[in-house]
Amino acid sequence: MPTLDAEKLKKEIVDSQIWRSIFRGGIWKDTPRDRAAHIVGNVWLHLHPVRVRKRALDWTYSWGLGGISFVLFLILTITGVLLMFYYRPTIGYAYRDIKDLAFAVTLGKLMRNMHRWSAQAMVVAVIAHMARVFYTGGYKKPREFNWGVGVLLLTLTLFLSFTGYLLPWDQLAMWAVTVGTNMAGATPFLGNEGPFGAAMGMHINNDVRFVLLGGTMVGENTLLRFYVLHCVAVPLIVGILLILHFWRVRKDSFSAAPYQAGEEKVEVWPNLIKREYVAMAACLLFIMVWSILMNAPLEAIANPNVTPNPSKAPWYFVGLQELLVYFDPWIAGVLLPGLIIVGLMAIPYVDNNPKGIGTYAWKDRKFANAIFTLGLAMWFILIFIGYACRGPNFFWYWPWESWLTPKAAPPLTWNLFGPDPKWKLFQTPNLSAFPLWIGIPVMLGGFLSWLVLPKLLQKELNGKKLQAAFIGVMLLFITGLKLGLHVPFGSGLWLLFFGYLAFYFGFILPQRYIRSMDWARYLVTMVFVIATMGVLLKMSARLAFNIKYVLTIPTVSLNI
Amino acid sequence: MSYKTWFVALNVALVGAFAWAYARDYNAQWKTYQRNYYNMAADALQKQSDAASNPDDKAKLHKEAVAMRETPLEIKQIITKDLGRVDRCTTCHVGMDEYVNPTMTNDFTQNPYKSHPDVAAMNGNHNFQKYGCTVCHLGQGLATTVKDAHGFVHNWEQPLLQGKMVEASCARCHQDFEHLKGAEVAAEGKKLFYEHGCQGCHSIKGVGGVVSVDLGDIADKPLERIAGYNFSRILVDGQPGHYLPESQWTVVNWILGHLTNDPMNVIPNDPLAKFNKEPVAPTGMPNFTEPDATGKRELSVDDAHAIATWLMSQTDEPIPYQYIVFQKPAPEPHFTSAVAHGKFVFEKYGCAGCHGLHGTKGRRNFNALGPGQVNPETDMDKGREPTLVDVVGTFTHDELVAKISNGVPASAISRFNPNGPVTPLYMPAWKDKIKPNELNDLATYLLSIAKQQNVGF
Repeated sequence: MPTLDAEKLKKEIVDSQIWRSIFRGGIWKDTPRDRAAHIVGNVWLHLHPVRVRKRALDWTYSWGLGGISFVLFLILTITGVLLMFYYRPTIGYAYRDIKDLAFAVTLGKLMRNMHRWSAQAMVVAVIAHMARVFYTGGYKKPREFNWGVGVLLLTLTLFLSFTGYLLPWDQLAMWAVTVGTNMAGATPFLGNEGPFGAAMGMHINNDVRFVLLGGTMVGENTLLRFYVLHCVAVPLIVGILLILHFWRVRKDSFSAAPYQAGEEKVEVWPNLIKREYVAMAACLLFIMVWSILMNAPLEAIANPNVTPNPSKAPWYFVGLQELLVYFDPWIAGVLLPGLIIVGLMAIPYVDNNPKGIGTYAWKDRKFANAIFTLGLAMWFILIFIGYACRGPNFFWYWPWESWLTPKAAPPLTWNLFGPDPKWKLFQTPNLSAFPLWIGIPVMLGGFLSWLVLPKLLQKELNGKKLQAAFIGVMLLFITGLKLGLHVPFGSGLWLLFFGYLAFYFGFILPQRYIRSMDWARYLVTMVFVIATMGVLLKMSARLAFNIKYVLTIPTVSLNI
Repeated sequence: MSYKTWFVALNVALVGAFAWAYARDYNAQWKTYQRNYYNMAADALQKQSDAASNPDDKAKLHKEAVAMRETPLEIKQIITKDLGRVDRCTTCHVGMDEYVNPTMTNDFTQNPYKSHPDVAAMNGNHNFQKYGCTVCHLGQGLATTVKDAHGFVHNWEQPLLQGKMVEASCARCHQDFEHLKGAEVAAEGKKLFYEHGCQGCHSIKGVGGVVSVDLGDIADKPLERIAGYNFSRILVDGQPGHYLPESQWTVVNWILGHLTNDPMNVIPNDPLAKFNKEPVAPTGMPNFTEPDATGKRELSVDDAHAIATWLMSQTDEPIPYQYIVFQKPAPEPHFTSAVAHGKFVFEKYGCAGCHGLHGTKGRRNFNALGPGQVNPETDMDKGREPTLVDVVGTFTHDELVAKISNGVPASAISRFNPNGPVTPLYMPAWKDKIKPNELNDLATYLLSIAKQQNVGF
């Protein structure tokens, strides 16, 4: 009777020509050599180093956010390909195919839910990944370029999500995309509603919005364009950039653990791989359970004649939509997003503070962390306001208020500086209080002095005294407004709140921390800081005093 | 926990989650109904087999019963080429699937198992395989769960037409529906619509008054166009305290909300300018629940349902011409007396819509002058349209003709509260709509009903 010798059988299988032709290496002996070969000899794993410093494996350092973003991208690719088998990008079929996925396709609902929720989760994961890299100084020399690639990937993630938003062809899709693409129509020079657009010969049927939509409104061509962008063009670009991103992570060495002499290293297989697997499986499980418990939203079929009230952009753009309340579309929809992207990419080049690489170094990087946190907080607070606090007619409804209660329209607005002034503060709706010949020098002078003052004051000022003085002056000013012009105290408190934020983050901190920077880096930093504070100040001007524009020059459609 | 435990636990959980998802997908709601149907039909065949005396029949019926019981479950659908619909209703309503149930009849009494009522005429004239289901019944044909298919869900705007309301669909294609057996409610609705003068304000596909919206496509009205706070004020059949639940915010109930409620309570708007810069009057639609001369409600709840049924036939959805039963409009009757013709004209153009049946009671016109007004804020709703029997006596024949021809714009109507809103109702200029000879006879008729002793208002 032949006996079964498992070891012998295993050896025979592994040593067979077929096995050896597929898998490099012989029987697994769990030696360091085998473990190294497992990484180097495997196309899927070879971007990993063979050995890694022990500190880099700490969960609480990276939180696995980059890896999770990539896992979500993979889930999206696989579910996306499966969805493409059922989905036809035409007005006649798109919505019906989504219904088919929900009602007739085996596991169709799960696929769509997983795709939808992974897309939302990926936006969150990528933003969180960026924040983590920022706080641990991961972008500093020599990783400046990879940070820029990361910012591009974040932008493309948002764009992927946005293009996918249109495909179900329901009311949510059509109007969210209408809101989003209308902002493109306000691009300076290239949009028909943007400043200098008319001078460039832009019409509704030849500007950048027309290129994006393939028409003058969201329609059949838009659906096809967004489908191709969503399924082919953008994923290709993202794929290429991902390869670059991973390659540079490897080549620039892992930021978590900058080299320390004589430090012990551990093997990537299995120490890092097992962590990656657990993160991936947990992520997939989370998305699956979420998708089983909650269905992706689907509204009534798209109808270009019926605008939902309110119409909102996808949640990650709702912050920009909220800015539309305070700014003209070309500022809220083009200039500010552009500044955010360029500003993020500029960070590694202006932040020449060598400290704080690979640790959450709050003490060593107070200025950078303060400004970045403020920006991140503003982004999410604006999203919260736009998503949860805006009801019919985009009026303000607290989250606990029913949208079924009608609200009074907000008070009329007026301009601070503009043509046709009436020389009357707080009393003339829809008109300008002061003329442009005062406004332009005041605004320019204010901007320039703010820009250079923190650096020119070479001695560090006493922050506590300065803050106390600022609050004191503001309180006097508010009292003056109350007594002299009957402005309510509530408005004054708004002004105090936003004014204080702008003063602290825009003046005290730069004066304390970056006044010794070289002029070029200093000026670039200050431009972005002042732009951020400008958003806060403009919000306070509207919320407290109903100011529509601080400065308006209608002849060139320049309104700030 | 060690990584090995995590590894095993997560993998088990992933397989479990996939099994869970698959089980939910596999145990679809429709399968229960379809399986029940096959079992019930098999039981019936088995009973026939047991009762049969001929052994051949017995064996044959038994075999059929077994085959019926073992029929594999599947989603069934009717693709209607001309009408562009995909209806999966027969997935659950198996008794109406002619492949499973060739006779299209059965003895079941419960939905979704029972066969289609009056199936000989219905399937005979409207072959279900060609017409599908939702073209008449509405609802979401693509869906395969009860709630979604019947369509009372947020993302479907055309839910099932329930009960007699389905007669609306007869009138969509049968232009002669007023003589059609089974479309009596729709016919009654149309009659009531014209009797009570609705067309005086609401045109139907361009024919009729201009005071309010055209109802020629009311069945397609997008719900997004109706403010939620107005919907939320509708009382079911006008019963106090019975607010319409959100799942029932449909076009049918929007129409009923105007006919079984005082419309001013449903659409109060902003007459005191609390939310807007200028005051906005409530809807001008009269309150048809008020008692008429006989002391009963002018429109009962049943009347309201009949009108809603007919209005739900008013759609702009393109219907292929071969599906339409054409009928020439009936010629106008001839009259020998001017008064009789004038009365016909009065009804034809819907004058009763504002001036009441036979001109006997001017309806409410918010913030116009009216009897008993004292408080400028709370008594604006006592404003009235002219009661013709009381006022026409002050006009000569020619003045009356001129008045009707030129109308009275809302801006020219005296307001009770000068700071209140412009009145929602007004007299349109009828000279382009009412023909000269009709106008003459209308004036003659009006003068004939004027109360001589009671002059002025």
